[in-house]
Amino acid sequence: MKSIWKFFESVKLAIVLFIVLTLASVLGTLIPQGRSAAEYAARYGSLSGLFVKLQLTGLYHSAWYLALLFLFALNTIVCTLARLGPKWRRAFRPSPEVDDKSLQLMKIKGRVRIPGPFPAAVERVRKALASRHYRLRTAGAGTRIAVVAQKRRLGWFGSDTVHVGLLIILAGGVISGLTSRRADLELRVGQTADIPHAAFQVRLDRFETEYYPQGGVKAWKSTVTVVENGAPVLTQVVEVNRPLTYKRFSFYQTSYGWDWENSRLEIDIKKPADPAYLKTLSLKVGERLAVEDADFTHLAVREFVPDFVIGEGNEVQTRSMEPNNPAAQVEVWKGEERIYTGWSFAKFPDFGEGHKVGQASLTFILKNFEASQYSVLEAAKDPGATFIWLGCLFVTAGFFLAFYWPPREIRLVLEEVQGKTEAVLGGFAPKSREAFQTEFDILVESLRRTT
Amino acid sequence: MTEATLFTITFVLYILSAFVYLASVFAKKEKWAGSGLVLAAAGLAGHTGALILRTVVSRHAPFTNMYESLSFLAWATVLALIVLDRKIRIPRVAPYMMLIAVGLVALASSPLMPKDVTPLVPALQSYWLWLHVSVTLLGEAFFAAAFIASLLYLGADTEEKKQKMDSVSYRAVAVGFPLFTLGGLVFGMVWAYKAWGTYWSWDPKEVWSLITWFVFALYLHTRIVMGWKGKRSALIAIIGFLAALFTYFGVNYLLSGLHSYA
Repeated sequence: MKSIWKFFESVKLAIVLFIVLTLASVLGTLIPQGRSAAEYAARYGSLSGLFVKLQLTGLYHSAWYLALLFLFALNTIVCTLARLGPKWRRAFRPSPEVDDKSLQLMKIKGRVRIPGPFPAAVERVRKALASRHYRLRTAGAGTRIAVVAQKRRLGWFGSDTVHVGLLIILAGGVISGLTSRRADLELRVGQTADIPHAAFQVRLDRFETEYYPQGGVKAWKSTVTVVENGAPVLTQVVEVNRPLTYKRFSFYQTSYGWDWENSRLEIDIKKPADPAYLKTLSLKVGERLAVEDADFTHLAVREFVPDFVIGEGNEVQTRSMEPNNPAAQVEVWKGEERIYTGWSFAKFPDFGEGHKVGQASLTFILKNFEASQYSVLEAAKDPGATFIWLGCLFVTAGFFLAFYWPPREIRLVLEEVQGKTEAVLGGFAPKSREAFQTEFDILVESLRRTT
Repeated sequence: MTEATLFTITFVLYILSAFVYLASVFAKKEKWAGSGLVLAAAGLAGHTGALILRTVVSRHAPFTNMYESLSFLAWATVLALIVLDRKIRIPRVAPYMMLIAVGLVALASSPLMPKDVTPLVPALQSYWLWLHVSVTLLGEAFFAAAFIASLLYLGADTEEKKQKMDSVSYRAVAVGFPLFTLGGLVFGMVWAYKAWGTYWSWDPKEVWSLITWFVFALYLHTRIVMGWKGKRSALIAIIGFLAALFTYFGVNYLLSGLHSYA
């Protein structure tokens, strides 16, 4: 048990862990994380199996990386605890008694004869130190008094405060990992969605995408109403960077999409042989419309893709969900016989021209397409986050204490020697030696002066 | 006066400052260092004006693309130099910091960096953009000071110079590390939580800022607890700055992730 404690008390372990964690973290940025097995196989060939086995493809969530973080936490706890006791006594229960030898060994020291009778001299020392915001403890009586004066005592605990903060952050991470709940909600306008693990629903009232005049998305705005027990309780516009929070759940604007499957299309039909001929049809994808015409009886749109591309296997695909190359697959029927199937492109109307349909030649132009957008909100509950902020507060405060609140300590022995007061002083301020030296010298000088 | 004019004036003043500082070191005219500082401060004033003008015109924080962020990093570097020079006198480090500032401004002015004012994508529309980026880059500017002091330590010929450079390096880290932690990690986590609903995603830029943090934590622990000083300390500070540089620059060009817009 003792040897385990010793192991975790060592700063050498901390240093090894810093180095190992650094190298492991670098490795995780060189190997793309969380991709498909096929992608790794294509990228690394026969090595990919080894990578998966060593959990290098999900490195930051791997058992061994988490184990490293766990060791790091244990190391931090033990190191901090081991040093805290002596530090605490030193800061809050210092013994004023000090022998001359240790005073002589201090790097900042002085010796001064204080004018006036002994009690008055002691009082002067007390006042001089108090006016410089030092707290005093004294020991001894009669002709020898020992004093320890301290200020900015919290400065001793800067690194400990940072360590506590880091431990709270790590604990917060564990709590997040175990208890956080997330769900993507795909909401069409008017739709209400249940939130997993919550006793309320959210409804999307309105969704709009705002654009800058020069192009580019300015904002996605979802007007969301929280519905509890069938009654609306809260309505708010959710945007990126402006989540809605209700009963520990937050709702984030994370994405949006187009409802292409329900798009409404407008298709122009022309006949190259008859310039006066024009029919404009409005129909939904999958709909079959009766048309009065000598050459055919029905027209249908079988499929619509927003970003047409021919895949490797010669099949039609969509490259993205954005309307970059909208295309509709048009079918023409004469009674029960399908007499034409072909693609029409909104951006390339020429492709739709002069197709042989039965005996006739027809042109199909995809004139217009309309689809509603839906909003994707993320519903998230993360009880760990509170710990993260608390930990961050400790870390920040700890840095301030460690770097900008340097503690100072002055030890004095006052002795009455043949009716005169001799004072021996020693100072200790490892983090601000130069500034402290100045203060110390001024103090000694002020004690030497006759008032 | 336009932003471009102010930017040019700034550039000229920075070059003059770097020149005067270098002359003060190599011609051993120590008094010239004062003029170098004045020129740097004048340049910084012009630069501040240029940044303010850009903010007014673009109506958003002046660090949303590479041009803006390089320019701001140059500004932060000069500010760090002035703060350190006033506090602890850094006549030997200052010339090279000015050279870094000149290099950054030159890089920002290169035709490769689009200078157009572009409207903000939704993810960047937040006041956390101000806090997160400015504090992080200021921290990195102090790391740059530590980097130069550490290089000068390795090249120093006298014990007195070595001691001074070792101390400058530590003092710069003592300012830079808290700033980097607060701006890069703390503010970054708060913003990520507000924008994406999660404070940490193991995105390459996040991981690299954590790596930078580990290296400087190593610097402090080896130095304060184990008493490492001098050469080994200097090497760690150099590695730390290079990690910070990669976090800032390399991640954008070599790795992909959530931070792809900046």
